[in-house]
Amino acid sequence: MIRNDKNFYLLYKFSINTSLFVFLFCILNFQISLSFFSMFETSTPSLISIVIYFCIVRFNINPPSIILLLTGFLHDIMIGNNFGITSIFLLLLKYFTNNLILERVNKDNQEEWIYFTIIFILSFSIVFLINLIISFSLPELSPIFFHVGITLILYPLINISINFFSFVSRLIKS
Amino acid sequence: MVSGKPSNLKSFKSSKNFNFILIFLCLTLVFLGKLDLVAIRNIKAFLSDFLAPATFALNRPVNEIAGVFEDVKSAGSLREENIRLKSEVRKLKVINSKSSSQELELLELRQLLKVLPEEKNKIITGRAITAPGGVFANTVLINAGENYGIKVGQPAISSLGLVGYVVNVGLKTSRILLLIDINSMIPAYLTNSNWPAVVQGQSGKLLKLKFLSSKAEPVDGEVVQTSGHGGRLPSGINIGKIVKSFSGKFYVKPVVDFQRLTFISVITNKPSGSFSPENFEGFAPLQKPKPSINLKGLNLSGKRIIEGTGN
Repeated sequence: MIRNDKNFYLLYKFSINTSLFVFLFCILNFQISLSFFSMFETSTPSLISIVIYFCIVRFNINPPSIILLLTGFLHDIMIGNNFGITSIFLLLLKYFTNNLILERVNKDNQEEWIYFTIIFILSFSIVFLINLIISFSLPELSPIFFHVGITLILYPLINISINFFSFVSRLIKS
Repeated sequence: MVSGKPSNLKSFKSSKNFNFILIFLCLTLVFLGKLDLVAIRNIKAFLSDFLAPATFALNRPVNEIAGVFEDVKSAGSLREENIRLKSEVRKLKVINSKSSSQELELLELRQLLKVLPEEKNKIITGRAITAPGGVFANTVLINAGENYGIKVGQPAISSLGLVGYVVNVGLKTSRILLLIDINSMIPAYLTNSNWPAVVQGQSGKLLKLKFLSSKAEPVDGEVVQTSGHGGRLPSGINIGKIVKSFSGKFYVKPVVDFQRLTFISVITNKPSGSFSPENFEGFAPLQKPKPSINLKGLNLSGKRIIEGTGN
């Protein structure tokens, strides 16, 4: 009976993690395909970092590091990045969200955006530095600023839409 | 695993360590990847092949929606666009009539000077599966690979000019490093002044001109083409035009619109036997054209064919 329970638990965990992986993979693909829009010609926003941050802070879902590692690898393969760069970014994002900020986030007020800005810029700066060391040359900074800027602008928009949907669903339920 | 924060200090510390181990592993992989090891290249190629259908399927709806948006956006400026196109057609007609006569002249001169014959390359065209959406990398995946004879280093072109070159080949897909990528360096020359240079991407919209002689005086709007130095890329492929920045520096603006790449052609290896060095006589004194060679627009004796006369 106990063994059965354990098996069910493992199966449950496996299915949840698989769904999370598929969800993150779809988000990554959507993020890449955004460059088809002329608005995101310079560079695309990092939707995956917004999603991961929301998962941890808002929905209390802590994505396993292995899932983030694999998702990052797939992203690097799809867009031809240096193998492992995106994984480092995602792992750092998770680490900073969990260890530096989560304790201090007051969910009643709108501090989440500021914390997200700090976490995102910190993780991105580290990855950018690694890239700089690898390529030995400074790239044009306008796409990088656009990437950071558009991600930070999109964050409150996604936040508002999530709040709106939860409000509507609560309204329907009541 | 998918619950909230770790409940006790021990598991918290172990997960923290595990995170660091993974980050270290990734860092090692990044540096190993930079060494361009065959094993990593093969793994990447295999995974690209494997993921290509899923990526294509997931990108397709967004691509279609973006297309609809573009159509709606351009619908507003249809009238202006029509007027511009009409004037462009008029200009092109004039250029076309001039170029056809110049082409004939060029053929004659080539024949007289016994210039090395142009080798015909085999061209493979594939559909772009992904868009160049990365911040640090600018590459595109196409749906043609080893199965069509594509190899690493071969140049990729579009109808407008050079797109980049192949950096990784799988069985069914190839990855093309775009001109604008920071790792891309192309030997080029300025067409007006013939000065050689190297064109390097900066992960932005403009390309840097490197190793250009201090004596060179680039002109705004001057065409830049591949020089063919190094023997990897053929010469004479359009790269872009010179633009002058506010600071007075010269950059190259690529002719290709990298965001709207749908089909990309790869120039595959040249067929052997198209040229034998024994037959080449170099810049020999002017000779009468051999009657056996029939040039376009010329009769067997080398005279121009005038329509209606039968000569």
